[in-house]
Amino acid sequence: MSSIDHPTDLAGHGDDHGHHEGPYYQTRGSLMADVLNWATTVDHKKIGVMYLFAVLFMFFLGGVAALAVRLELLEPVRAMTNAAGETVITGQLFGGDAENAATGNNTYNRLFTLHGAIMVFMFIVPSIPASLGNFFLPIMLGAKDVAFPRLNLLSWYIYVGGSIFGVMSIVLGGVDTGWTFYTPYSTTTDADVWGRVVLMILAAFVLGFSSILTGLNFIVTVHKLRAPGMGWFDMPLFIWAVYATSIIQVLATPVIGITLLLLIFERLFHVGIFDPGLGGDPVLYQHFFWFYSHPVVYVMILPAMGIISELLSVHSRKPIFGYKAIAFSSLGIAAVSFLVWGHHMFTSMGEVASVLFSALTFLVAIPTAVKVFNWIATLYKGSIALNTPMLYAMSFLFLFSIGGLTGLPLGALATDLHLHDSYYVVAHFHYVMMGGTVMAMVGGIHHWWPKMFGRMYNEKAGILGCVIVFLGFNVTFMSQFFLGTQGMPRRYASYVDEFQFLHQFSTVGSWLLLIGFLVHLVNFVYSLVAGPKAPPNPWGGLTLEWEAESPPVEHNFHTEPVVRHGPYDYETVVPPHCDIKDYPLPEPEPTPEPPTVVR
Amino acid sequence: MQTPMLNMIPTLSTIPPLKLSHETPYAKGEGLSGLFFRNAPITEGVVKTDALFMLIFWFSMFFFFLLMGLMVYWCFFKYRRRPGVPIPRSPSHNGPLELFWTIVPSSALLVIFFLGLWTYTDRQIAKAGSIRLDLTAWKWGWGINYPNGAQSQWLIELDPGTTQKVPIFVVPESENIEMRMMSNDVIHSFWIPDFRVKMDVFPNRYTGYTFDTPTLAEGEDYRDHWIFCAEYCGDYHSEMAGVLRVVPWGDYQQWLTDQNTGDMSPIDLGKLVHTKQCAICHTVDGSANTGPTWQNVFGYDVPLADGSTVLGDANYIRESILAPQAKIHQGYPPSMPPFETLSEREILGVIAYIESLSDRGRPVEEIEGTTDGDGSGGDETGEGSESAPADEDTGATDGAQAPESDADSET
Repeated sequence: MSSIDHPTDLAGHGDDHGHHEGPYYQTRGSLMADVLNWATTVDHKKIGVMYLFAVLFMFFLGGVAALAVRLELLEPVRAMTNAAGETVITGQLFGGDAENAATGNNTYNRLFTLHGAIMVFMFIVPSIPASLGNFFLPIMLGAKDVAFPRLNLLSWYIYVGGSIFGVMSIVLGGVDTGWTFYTPYSTTTDADVWGRVVLMILAAFVLGFSSILTGLNFIVTVHKLRAPGMGWFDMPLFIWAVYATSIIQVLATPVIGITLLLLIFERLFHVGIFDPGLGGDPVLYQHFFWFYSHPVVYVMILPAMGIISELLSVHSRKPIFGYKAIAFSSLGIAAVSFLVWGHHMFTSMGEVASVLFSALTFLVAIPTAVKVFNWIATLYKGSIALNTPMLYAMSFLFLFSIGGLTGLPLGALATDLHLHDSYYVVAHFHYVMMGGTVMAMVGGIHHWWPKMFGRMYNEKAGILGCVIVFLGFNVTFMSQFFLGTQGMPRRYASYVDEFQFLHQFSTVGSWLLLIGFLVHLVNFVYSLVAGPKAPPNPWGGLTLEWEAESPPVEHNFHTEPVVRHGPYDYETVVPPHCDIKDYPLPEPEPTPEPPTVVR
Repeated sequence: MQTPMLNMIPTLSTIPPLKLSHETPYAKGEGLSGLFFRNAPITEGVVKTDALFMLIFWFSMFFFFLLMGLMVYWCFFKYRRRPGVPIPRSPSHNGPLELFWTIVPSSALLVIFFLGLWTYTDRQIAKAGSIRLDLTAWKWGWGINYPNGAQSQWLIELDPGTTQKVPIFVVPESENIEMRMMSNDVIHSFWIPDFRVKMDVFPNRYTGYTFDTPTLAEGEDYRDHWIFCAEYCGDYHSEMAGVLRVVPWGDYQQWLTDQNTGDMSPIDLGKLVHTKQCAICHTVDGSANTGPTWQNVFGYDVPLADGSTVLGDANYIRESILAPQAKIHQGYPPSMPPFETLSEREILGVIAYIESLSDRGRPVEEIEGTTDGDGSGGDETGEGSESAPADEDTGATDGAQAPESDADSET
């Protein structure tokens, strides 16, 4: 492929003059020079690392809001009249003054909005593609960089800009619209301090551009920068997943951009589009909103599915079962994802539309189910290493299966009329988003940690963290399925007494989750400071990133790699009875064993 | 609850205390179903919904344990990496197997879809003789206009001892109820968990659903069900609850009479509005005037100027009152001004009146809620109550369309 070198060469010249062969993050001597170097870098690896820290920080912020929400729900808010005839309010564990229940509810409403908006727009949408995708997509393709390195830097700054709008809105007092900004509530609430709502909407609007540009960049990179010898079906499945994700990002995000702009117009200039008081239609807003926000669910989950395909294959030393089925189901999901937005609106749409969308919704379940079957079949006759990435992959399969299966009663019309907008929905999408995407991302970070930072993490601490997170997650969210079916609506600052036990159970789970993530944090920090040096290929993977150094050099490879085998051809690539030095096994792994193949 | 709207409604001291359905011996759920839903499936709609839910549950459990069992067995025991143990070869794909596990779940999903659709239609299509309740929602409370013009006025404590109060809506047992709902401000959602059904309540648009009320057990005087607002609506969203109280038919009729403090029935109100404001242009006897007649509009396809048609339902009538230029009736000039001064009650009255003028509308006594549809109740309305204007209509149980044609078709 003759065009491979062209754009990346430009990038290389823009970055620096000498050809460094040290790690990509090699320091330039002074702190100032380093800061300047990172701030103006067009190296996809540095941008990926910056994204990684940024989205993890947002995950932390959103997580704090979630913990506060769970804390408030330990007790229901009750207003009692005491002996002196004064109103006393109990159960406001987080915020609010004792005289007025509204203040506490108001705080709660801002917290759950904050949690949702940060987690969706600033964490989970950019999470995997922008961080791990940015770092590994070019390397796995054998390229030196993405197709448009400067555009890549631009999308990073747009992301930072959008996040600053969001944080400003929070600092000014936050918003209580919910992350969905449903009209006419969002166009009328906080009328006295309009700035924060507009700022938060603007944040989502701006962040959309970052998403579009990253998606565009990845699509072109996959099309144009594959290493010599790499056909479409020689690509790792992570690439397929990110490719499908990018298509959705490019096609769906403009819709939310326009919608949010219209929302701002309506709020500021009272143009009647969505508010029935001004002659608009609130259901139109919901259609616009979910036309983006449903496909974006797959922006969140598809890259996670890609990571799982990598983890399962590498850590069980098995070719992925049904490579083409998984690759095509990624594209299938991307296509069908545009046709099912209406299932968020069964309680607000007409009957005919509801029936149609219900049918289409079941259609999207099929490629997802196929993927799960393929993943499980991959494990058959494998050589399975029970390390942290593998345990996270197993957690993903466990939690994502629950998340997927509990979606069935939501897709069926009759049961959805009961479960819609209840805690059941909250539990369902947390099983998919957190049990799916976050588990895959944490697993992926462990998997690629040695490659990104050149050091190993402590395997035992990783496993401990994984077990605590898994248990904490189930305690937190399993209980919420039952809250939902029993009648607990979402977004409630308080509840009738019957729900208290399950709420308390769930809150305890959130503390377990916190402990689990702290274990990982300590493990990672320790690894950066004092972890043992990582070999180039600690797990024995066959995709191209394991042919690069750990960490990769500035231009990823010393010489342009040529692809001569598929990404998962363990059985054919590794010669029989050969202790391959190309794929050295790490010291910390509990059971080092040469990947021998016996015919 | 300190919401200003609710405080305008007087609290009566004689309200019987809360008796929640799942705490009564008659409707307490048992086993797995009790764990999921707390109350037993007590009506046909709930039985069908719960059965579908449990069917999906067992279907999911089967696949979940199959897959997870394989995963755990293979990962932790069978194929765990052990030093010196070679990796066996295995196939990387298997066409027939993959086809099999695509087709089988797809067929199962098709079945689930149709079962969901089947029960859904029950929620959307009201049975003949159902009682229609008009719900109005606002930040943060709701009220119901009953068919005889009465409004719900009972409040009860959300939990014993608290000052937070929620309204009680009384409905008769063993009846089909049709909700018609609208919001005064933002979107709300009217959820009755015990009946497994909810629908969003929008401003400036009627939405609705139907449900059956359960039959009370022998000797049971009433039974309560929680109502929650399920669409986020602001500061007091979590206190926007309510209680649906199911009582025997006779008690319901008595309660309706007691609650009616001189309210006109919707049809009479609509007739009054017509006489005062609409009769200049609209006849009710089928003849053309400046505007189209009101006779046989409800339930019919109305021809529009652009050649299309629209169903003459509550939403169409409402829109034609408030925004007459939105849909122009074929053959008439677009000359009607918007009647924004009409109250919501008056608009509902006009809709009820227009329904009573159509042979596709329900009989008058059904619109006014004085019959329970299956013929078992129905003639105890009006006695001694102040709903006097309703009497002349409801008395004519055998000639439903007769009374209004002579009343005020001319101006």
